Amino acid sequence: MTTPEVYVLGGYQTDFARNWTKEKKHFSALMRESVLGALASTNIDPEEVQSAHVGNFAAELYCMQGHLGAFFTEVHPAFSGLPTSRHEAACASGSIALLAASAEIEAGRYDLQAVVGIEQMKTVSPGEGGSFLGTAAWYEEEADGVDFPFPKLFGRLGDVYDERYGLKDEHLAEISKINYANAKLNPNAQTRTWYMNKEHALCRTDDNAEVGGRIRIADCSQVTDGAVTVFLASRAYAEKYAERQGLSLSEIPRIKGWGHNTARLRFSDKVAESRDNRYVLPHVRSTVLSAMKRAGIADANGIDGIETHDCFTTSEYMAIDHFGLTEPGESWKAIEEGWLEIDGKHPINPSGGLIGAGHPVGATGVRQLLDSFLQVTGRAADFQVEGAKNFQTLNIGGSGTTSCSFIIGV
Amino acid sequence: MSLRKILASRSIERVVVLGANGTMGYGSAALFTQAVPHVTFLARSRQKAEEGLAAAIKQVRSPTVASRAETGDYDSDLESAVAKADLIFEALTEDLEIKRNIFDRVEKARREDSIVATVTSGLSINALCKGRSDSFRKNFLGLHFFNPPNVITGTELIAGDDTDPAVVDFVEAFSRVKLGREMIRTADTPAFAGNRVGFKVLNEAAQMAEQLGPVLVDRLVGPYTGRALTPLATIDLVGWDIHRAIVDNVFANTNDEAHATLELPGYMAKLMDKGVLGDKTGAGFFKRDGKTQLALDVASGDYAPVADIKLPDLAYIDAVADLYAQARYEEGIQVFLAAEGDEAALARKVIAGYISYAFHRAGEVSETITGIDLIMGAGFNWAPPSVLVDTMGPASAVELIEDAGLPVPEAISKAAASGEPPRFFAHPVINVGKYFVAG
Repeated sequence: MTTPEVYVLGGYQTDFARNWTKEKKHFSALMRESVLGALASTNIDPEEVQSAHVGNFAAELYCMQGHLGAFFTEVHPAFSGLPTSRHEAACASGSIALLAASAEIEAGRYDLQAVVGIEQMKTVSPGEGGSFLGTAAWYEEEADGVDFPFPKLFGRLGDVYDERYGLKDEHLAEISKINYANAKLNPNAQTRTWYMNKEHALCRTDDNAEVGGRIRIADCSQVTDGAVTVFLASRAYAEKYAERQGLSLSEIPRIKGWGHNTARLRFSDKVAESRDNRYVLPHVRSTVLSAMKRAGIADANGIDGIETHDCFTTSEYMAIDHFGLTEPGESWKAIEEGWLEIDGKHPINPSGGLIGAGHPVGATGVRQLLDSFLQVTGRAADFQVEGAKNFQTLNIGGSGTTSCSFIIGV
Repeated sequence: MSLRKILASRSIERVVVLGANGTMGYGSAALFTQAVPHVTFLARSRQKAEEGLAAAIKQVRSPTVASRAETGDYDSDLESAVAKADLIFEALTEDLEIKRNIFDRVEKARREDSIVATVTSGLSINALCKGRSDSFRKNFLGLHFFNPPNVITGTELIAGDDTDPAVVDFVEAFSRVKLGREMIRTADTPAFAGNRVGFKVLNEAAQMAEQLGPVLVDRLVGPYTGRALTPLATIDLVGWDIHRAIVDNVFANTNDEAHATLELPGYMAKLMDKGVLGDKTGAGFFKRDGKTQLALDVASGDYAPVADIKLPDLAYIDAVADLYAQARYEEGIQVFLAAEGDEAALARKVIAGYISYAFHRAGEVSETITGIDLIMGAGFNWAPPSVLVDTMGPASAVELIEDAGLPVPEAISKAAASGEPPRFFAHPVINVGKYFVAG
């Protein structure tokens, strides 16, 4: 039996540069703008939506608000009574919501699903927010009493690379530079107007302060308020939708493959497990490969671009070899060859990624899928990868703990 | 041609900033260091240029400002620096003669293909390059950053009659992508688009303060009317002297249907004579005494604690804000339109004046209303006039403007008459919700 297809109809991202606390707005406003924006941009009537999945990490902490699936019903009177739910897997929450929604379509339960990824993070000070993010690790063992635990954990990822293969800071700075430069082409990117260049990313003074081991400010993704809504559909709905939009079904992108693995929580346990493996985070490698296998794509040469999880420059450095762009430990080669640039051989994060576009934690996986949708439908405007047909995402929760990947293509 | 192709069409390796000691000079120079390897800060003396560089470093907090900057003075360094420059950026005092004198020297020293830009906010681009060589006029344009450039991203791009369209395209792409600017093309009219419309509203608020006092005016024309910063606090921030320069310029050089709202209130001129210039002198419409916020008594020039000033019942503002807090903007704005009382009517009059004035300037200060919309959004952080019309609906907008006794723009009355009114603000990306601050 072949698995039923899941189509992506598009969606809407809020401007990640906005500060919803400064606008004095409630969490529900963020959800409302994102969902109404998605309905308008896809030409879908609210009455057609059958179910909704919300991906969010920590609204209970940031906004003193739980039961987020129910907030979907507040957006439009037609949504009252719909089956909704909320999904959490730290920074991979958005992808987990996508997996649940697509599984329900595959199971034949629903034909049209809304998936909302959402996080409002600027409600608290950076220190307090850093501590909230620490709950994505094993809090008592890795984060309790530690200032900014995650930069430190991903600094250790860099250290492991350094021990096993060698790692130069200038390569991390280049990753930062490319993400910031791409963000300037993306009108929804949080950092599109920020002052940044490679020299700044490389600088080792207080202007680019250390936050955790080798991780400095320019190596970090952002604290972001943002929401992204996409619509996923069955073949039956997609056929009707294509006709209505004057498209052929083949022009509507599909989720061609997915991967999902969960590793042990503690970073030290992951490192111990991979001691004899060529890959530093073998479960991440499995996730990438299983998505490719399901999509019938042999290797990264069959992928036109990647939206990966650069919560820190070290995580993108890890992604480069885990996607198989280079041999393990040789990610620096792809950087030096210029492969990662928008017009390079293997573009990574044309959107600017988490460093440039921003990282509203629970929204990131959905944002990656939407940006991939824009790429494969030729609608990414100034950050378009020319001729892109297949894009792959990698969304990671914790210190490489939950990994999700989608391949979306036409 | 795609954005990336336009960007690749030429390179900017060296920029010279003239007047690099002034606020706009060093602020702009700092921006250039982000993307340009060599930026020369020039001023009357090397000491002044060094001061500009120090201020730029303080503003941006990146070591790349210092590592990419050189300093010099006009007498010793202008010709040699200009000869090497790909872009010459002029940020001198707003005086036609002073600028023309320095352009005499720039014209003799520059390469034929170098771009010359001015940051002027008030002088005519065509007047500034009148009588210069073909190559100068072809490569000359206005690049109007707003103050402070590292905070406000909206930027006006003003071509002269002879500016090469390819130069305009390139400067637009370069400023947007390399300097992170939001670029809006405007016409070469007095104060261009943003300040023409924006200072009309600010000045009308200042006029109203004579009767109502600053606290009530800033509450009435507050965040809920579509702005982050209240109008009189904005004038304090900008500086009363700058406010005067802009409205005097527009008042003297235009004659439109809202001319009277552009006349500087007499009390402001009197207080300026006594040294009241806003935040830069520590006192304007508002000032602080320790933790106490004080407000100006316009008649006496004295200050009283804001907390002691009694305001009428303005519960409708909280009701609007509560709806905005949930992103229910259409409902919120209707509460504003329906609010009873003289105060709400005065607030509506200002907003009606803003919409009416802006729509009547479409085709004059920018090609369409969209240019005005974009600069009001990115330059002032105000809800663009079209966004207000779309949110309330054109029929409500017609009623609002008629009730205020102001001329209804034809585009809005046409939209109101049509069965399916168009959206005036059809930007594919900008989130209009951000302009409706819930306060």
